[in-house]
Amino acid sequence: MIAILGLLLGVAVGIWLSPTLPAVLQPYLPIMIVAAMDALFGATRAYLDHTFSDKVFVVSFISNVTIAALIVWIGDQIGVGSQLSTAVIVVLGIRIFTNAAAIRRKVIHA
Amino acid sequence: MQAPDASMDLLRQLREEAVDPDYARAASDGRATRNPGAMSAIALVIAGALFATALVSTTRSKPLVTSERAQLMGYIREAEARQDQLRTDQAALRAQVDTIQKQALGGSASLPALSTVAIASGAVPVTGPGVVIVVDDAAASASVDGRVLDQDLAQLVNGLWAAGAEAVAVNGHRITTRTAIREAGSAITVDYRSLDRPYRVEAIGDPRKLPADFTATTGGSWWAYLNRNYGLAFDLQTSDALTLPADPGLGLTVATRAR
Repeated sequence: MIAILGLLLGVAVGIWLSPTLPAVLQPYLPIMIVAAMDALFGATRAYLDHTFSDKVFVVSFISNVTIAALIVWIGDQIGVGSQLSTAVIVVLGIRIFTNAAAIRRKVIHA
Repeated sequence: MQAPDASMDLLRQLREEAVDPDYARAASDGRATRNPGAMSAIALVIAGALFATALVSTTRSKPLVTSERAQLMGYIREAEARQDQLRTDQAALRAQVDTIQKQALGGSASLPALSTVAIASGAVPVTGPGVVIVVDDAAASASVDGRVLDQDLAQLVNGLWAAGAEAVAVNGHRITTRTAIREAGSAITVDYRSLDRPYRVEAIGDPRKLPADFTATTGGSWWAYLNRNYGLAFDLQTSDALTLPADPGLGLTVATRAR
């Protein structure tokens, strides 16, 4: 419950304040969101498995988001930014799909 | 057990460790909280804010691009209208200056000299007999070789000057000492205004002598070469009455008070 409330509060705050991200961070926002989604789906699955841990979630969330942005940033510096962001999205995408499928099986047993 | 295909290890690992293994480790250590706490809530608020920020910025930037474009087009139209207005104003002011100049000079001896200079410099419109040369790109050629270039037009105009033309205009733009014939992109510009083909070059001079004298100049042989080898269209006709406009870009830079 607190999770959904937090998420909704974040969305509301984001829309209400609509902060302008610094131009340097702008290209990394989409990849950060994909990383955040990965952490969220992983946490949901762990929650349904009754193995959820506050600390693990926060650490995985922060490290996922930072590392994803960092990888793409390094890629940009060495000229393979778009390729590396594709790589990050593929890897995170597979994980998101796997976790989403596992969650679906847990919730509706199908 | 050996993996079925070692090269698929990465994908297999991705699927099997889709959930951070730390969750299982924390659970086995008894550190699992089972329910999200305050720390998670903060992380979730950040995640939601990230998502909303991206959403807002993408929906906001789309109409921004179109409105920016419309705004730019509006600026261009405004500037064009303003330029036209200024040109009209300038022509009126020039006529006024001319009248005052003539009044001030009265019947002085410098008046005929002034009108000669005005004709030669392109400060006043001129009328008289002359030739009209229409040049164009080669009909069947799509390559660069068959196109009229800025230097071709410059050669043509210089040839006409050398043949004794008194005034020259290209597509209605008077050529003076201050007009540049240049190339911008794929268009030829005269006095920084781009031209449409075909290029119509009008020159005032003796219609009986000008065509023959022109063929003897460098510009004449240049164009004979282009016409023969690249098929560029070249058509010369004499005319009894041509009217060439004044060069609007000819500003007054130095003036001294008459005594």
